Amino acid sequence: MILVTINRSIYFAFQSFWRNIWLSLATIFIISLTFMSINFLVIINAISDSAIDAVKERVDVSIYFKQDVRESKIAEIKSHLETIPQVKEIIYISPDANLDEFRERRKDDSVIQEVLNELEGNPLGATLIVRAKELNNYPEILEAIDNPAYADLIEKKGYDDHQKAIANINTITDNVKKGAMVVTIMFIIIAVLIVFNTVRIAIFTHRKEVGIMKLVGATNGFIRSPFILENVFSGAIACGIAIGVIYFILSMIQPHLANFFAGVEFDLIAYFNSNFILIFGSQLVGIILLNIISSSLAIGKYLKV
Amino acid sequence: MIHLLNITKKFDSKTVALKDVSLHIEPGEFVSIVGQSGSGKTTIARIIIAEIKPNNGKVVIGGWDITNIKSGQIPQLRRQIGVVFQDFKLLSKKTVFENVAFALQVSGVSKSRINKIVPQVLKIVDLGDKVDRYPQQLSGGEKQRVAIARSLIHRPKILLADEPTGNLDAINSKEIIDLLLKINEFGTTVVLVTHDKEVVNSLKKRVVTIDEGVITQDQKVGKYVI
Repeated sequence: MILVTINRSIYFAFQSFWRNIWLSLATIFIISLTFMSINFLVIINAISDSAIDAVKERVDVSIYFKQDVRESKIAEIKSHLETIPQVKEIIYISPDANLDEFRERRKDDSVIQEVLNELEGNPLGATLIVRAKELNNYPEILEAIDNPAYADLIEKKGYDDHQKAIANINTITDNVKKGAMVVTIMFIIIAVLIVFNTVRIAIFTHRKEVGIMKLVGATNGFIRSPFILENVFSGAIACGIAIGVIYFILSMIQPHLANFFAGVEFDLIAYFNSNFILIFGSQLVGIILLNIISSSLAIGKYLKV
Repeated sequence: MIHLLNITKKFDSKTVALKDVSLHIEPGEFVSIVGQSGSGKTTIARIIIAEIKPNNGKVVIGGWDITNIKSGQIPQLRRQIGVVFQDFKLLSKKTVFENVAFALQVSGVSKSRINKIVPQVLKIVDLGDKVDRYPQQLSGGEKQRVAIARSLIHRPKILLADEPTGNLDAINSKEIIDLLLKINEFGTTVVLVTHDKEVVNSLKKRVVTIDEGVITQDQKVGKYVI
């Protein structure tokens, strides 16, 4: 009997969906727009997070040692710095590697090249590049490097913190997120009203049927379920449309993003693929819950027979 | 079968529809409840099908105390009471067959059983040849017979008819009353709520007269006396 009731509810829901096709299409359109605006917010989030991560990756402290500091001493300092919990990694660059890199960087500068050729030996010392786990760990690391015992060994320290760049990115993305949030909330409110009123109109047009169903012994659940299911169909179709559109947009913008994030691995499609269930599943569950609540509220009025 | 004990129903502080009404209807009886408009007879019908609850008193239907029936139990009650109204309450976009089948569909009855029962009931009300017609293609009497067929589909022990002849001419009214009598002969308790004097006088059955929310007469073989 339960199976028969479920089948009949699904049948009535489909029947009502087709008989009110324009209303159904309008509902699907609005819910699709809501899904798209929510996913636009997800895209903005993913891009801004990656942009910030990319900049963060470039923040480090470079310790330039004097030319005559022995490698064993540098290794000792490196070992000491590695004991600091906030340190993520330390890269050692030998004097030769530094010189090669410098030559390569200034290969078009003939004067520099000439000077280097005339010099006997390597004028550059070794370098340690220290990266912190978090941006706010750098002051502690810098304090540790400022140890008086190292003062005579260090030529200079370089700390390019990119804080300004990160702050700018944060400001821009925060503003975009706020804008997207406002649009999303607007669409959610519109979707709630549309879904709510769609159900109300559907139930209003079926009020005689609802009354007769009650009189002949239909349970409230049986009366409600086709209306709820009908809106769940609309939500599922809208979700499917939104997924199609979002993936189409992703495929269009991905090449541009790849250029923008040159050198940083960032694949928005892969991001959506790996979070597919979380992103779209939660949205689908949300719209189904919304349908159930609004349908239940709207139909309650006509069930008191 | 139906026991109303000291029922009082107020719709607001000034409108008292029923005042301390007690009514007992035995199984298999045919009872007409008569009275003028606003006398309270339809309120009794609405209380019997649990559409409204009384403010005071007790309602027992077939041994079931429904005075404070929970909303979840109402469908179960309504499958035991067939109801017929003056305005037929048929679905215009459904055929005769579908209108009757609808009552079974909402109860979760299988399609094969629906296909078996519905033609049988339509035959009882003499509409076996009009199963594919829509309500607008039927006469008033035929519409009411569809409504009666629908009310009988659950094989109820009680059939409650609220002004079933109100929209019908004399010939159709007689057909409907004859049908109700036939249903009563099969053992179904019939409660006829009406203000149709001729119908009541022709029945020669029990008549309960209600006036301003009070039962003023209860005759075993009665007449319309207002």
